[in-house]
Amino acid sequence: MKYYMMGIDFGSTTAKTVILDLKGRIVASRVAHMGAVSGDGVRASIDGALEDAGLTQAQMGRVVSTGYGRRMLDVADKNYTEITCHARGAVAMVPDARLVIDIGGQDSKVIAVDTNGLVSQFAMNDRCAAGTGKFLETLARAMQVELQDMGGIALEASETLKISSMCATFAETEVISLLAEGKTKPDVLGAVHAAIASRTMGLVGRVGKKGPVVMTGGVAKNAAAVHHIEQELGMPLILPSDPQIAGALGAALLALDDFRAEHKSAITTLLADDDAFEAQMQADKACAPNCRGNPVLAAALADARATPPPHSPAELAVPEGKKSLWQKIQNHI
Amino acid sequence: MNVAVKPAPVANKLKSTRIAGGLVNQYWEMVWRAKQEGKLICWYEGSAINPFLQAADICWVHGEAYSAMLAARHQEGPAQKAAEERGYMKELCSYARTHLGCAVSNQRNRNDTDTGVSNAPDDDDLASKLPPPDMIISAYAYCSTGQQWDEMTSRVFGKKIPIFNVSLPWIWGAKKDAGYLRGQEWLETSKYVERQLYDMVKFIEERTGKPYPWDRLRELMGQVKKASTLRLEAMDMCTARPAPASFFDWVVSIAPINNLTVGPEIVDYFQAVKDEVAARVAAGEGAVPREKYRLFFDGIMNWNKVGWLAEKFARYDAAVVVGRYTHMAFWQEPDLIDAADPVLGMAQNYLICPNNHAAPILTDLIMDLCRKYEVDGMVIHASRTCRAFTNPQFLIADAAHKRLGIQTTMFEGDVTDESFYKDELLNSRVEAMLEAIDARRIAAA
Repeated sequence: MKYYMMGIDFGSTTAKTVILDLKGRIVASRVAHMGAVSGDGVRASIDGALEDAGLTQAQMGRVVSTGYGRRMLDVADKNYTEITCHARGAVAMVPDARLVIDIGGQDSKVIAVDTNGLVSQFAMNDRCAAGTGKFLETLARAMQVELQDMGGIALEASETLKISSMCATFAETEVISLLAEGKTKPDVLGAVHAAIASRTMGLVGRVGKKGPVVMTGGVAKNAAAVHHIEQELGMPLILPSDPQIAGALGAALLALDDFRAEHKSAITTLLADDDAFEAQMQADKACAPNCRGNPVLAAALADARATPPPHSPAELAVPEGKKSLWQKIQNHI
Repeated sequence: MNVAVKPAPVANKLKSTRIAGGLVNQYWEMVWRAKQEGKLICWYEGSAINPFLQAADICWVHGEAYSAMLAARHQEGPAQKAAEERGYMKELCSYARTHLGCAVSNQRNRNDTDTGVSNAPDDDDLASKLPPPDMIISAYAYCSTGQQWDEMTSRVFGKKIPIFNVSLPWIWGAKKDAGYLRGQEWLETSKYVERQLYDMVKFIEERTGKPYPWDRLRELMGQVKKASTLRLEAMDMCTARPAPASFFDWVVSIAPINNLTVGPEIVDYFQAVKDEVAARVAAGEGAVPREKYRLFFDGIMNWNKVGWLAEKFARYDAAVVVGRYTHMAFWQEPDLIDAADPVLGMAQNYLICPNNHAAPILTDLIMDLCRKYEVDGMVIHASRTCRAFTNPQFLIADAAHKRLGIQTTMFEGDVTDESFYKDELLNSRVEAMLEAIDARRIAAA
């Protein structure tokens, strides 16, 4: 029997791999930075994780992929979108989370999760890269600072400036103009990070602000981005220790769900004396298509569907001889 | 590593809608030869005033319809390029931009020295083939571009084309008695538009030099009413599971109800559609081979992607069963039309363009459709250059989520400019929504 599950997040700028054992514990994880949807990058990430775990691909019981390149991987048994995987991974990292903010290389997303850990609503940035990791990369290059140093420098800002452009390319022009006006790098970088926070809040507004909020993705490692988003949100962000692997972790957990569903009796026999494992199996019925669900939610959904729409006061005039039309009008009173 | 390819099921489109293709071709052929036949030509946008024109034997050209036809045939490029050369920017409504490009091309045809980089048109260039107008009637509900579009068209033709403007006020719905098709505001606004339509008829009489043939209009509106009723009855049958026809079948059926030649042909068309839908319901045959999800489509159509999107959703096992664009427009209240005295009912149908209601009324109508067709989710197409349709979409999404508890997702595209559409963005968003629906179903099971 194969005892390990693999989740791969084949992202736009990085590839992440997580390997779990049958109890859902992380055995290994690896992040590879190799450029846009890079085959070499994902290979390095997979090989690195296998090497760290001392395992081979043949020992993977189930492999699930996510990210931009999720459909390109023939090692994957299934693939799911970033929304599903990030929600699952983030809730696994922070079980109380009700809102997940994920800012990755090419996109940013805000996902609301309900008390059962199910995705209740989500919003993603449009095609524009403003507010994403790519936005920071572009501006780091324009300002000739290292990407990993940006956040620290931005926190030294003393003057509040504004980057108004919604387009990453035009924002670069704006940054260069501010530098030409003699503005300092910390102040300009402060404005860059405030712009990211502003874009993120637009997405938060669309799904509804609620806490606790967990932030994942590479930008969660940027202290200035976190600071400005917290300022805009008016509440603290919970930062997992390894925010970049949330999607890959979610994918690996979905692989585990799938594997458990298929091999439940064998696994139960194998781990029959492990109460913690059993408890976890019951607790993890959330977030993903292969989970079992919960009767409380089902009852709530049934009630919601059974609730009739509000009806009209009787005093409204009825058009003569137009029953169907009147019915339609009544429905809208 | 290899690319994994999932075998694609094919959308089970209605066979009867193929008739629409023939009707569309006949109609445009009539338009293209109208000048040679000595007919007056009227350009208009927005409201379906075509029966008024057809009754007076005036050839009618609906701007959006021409742009949509070019986009559906993937021949919108030359017109859009010509418009851009003239100075109309990319953010301008692409219906208007494409149609204005036709006007520009048409004028270039008359003036060889002004060919621009898009070059002088040839016989196959449908942009320049559109005959120039003898009159323009502007009757656009809600859309702020509409009247300016007509004004710009007039300028392209040297400001020599007479224009008649019909003002279609926004339905505020703010008073206590206000609501869908009711209240003082509704009655007053209906009468206000009705009076203008009578003035419009005078304008038509001045152009033709003949008394207006009211009997002919009554006859045509009788046929519109029949066709519209059949269309709505066929749509109603799509509450069945599996849904026998999809939103995309109704998109294909817009031209016959909205701008093609009114006559027994359109009644026969919708009778054939209704018969096929009924047969499918009886046989349990769906528009999607394996209907797993039922979706609402909010937004105007991506005309260069109709077949593409129909296939895409079918591959997801998603039946797009209902939409704002198809189910809330195009003579959608035939009961308001009195064929013996049709003008008031025509005014009222023009007023209930789906964008022309205050958000609470609009949202209630959409929520009712979602309930009626028992949808699992809502796909929202935010048209980049049609903000009239896009404006309330966050409100609609919020209402769908809070009132119905259904998932929504939004993607950006456009009516006739496909450069605004990006396939991967739609894929990710739709797949994420369907995964969330799956998760909730399993959780609820």
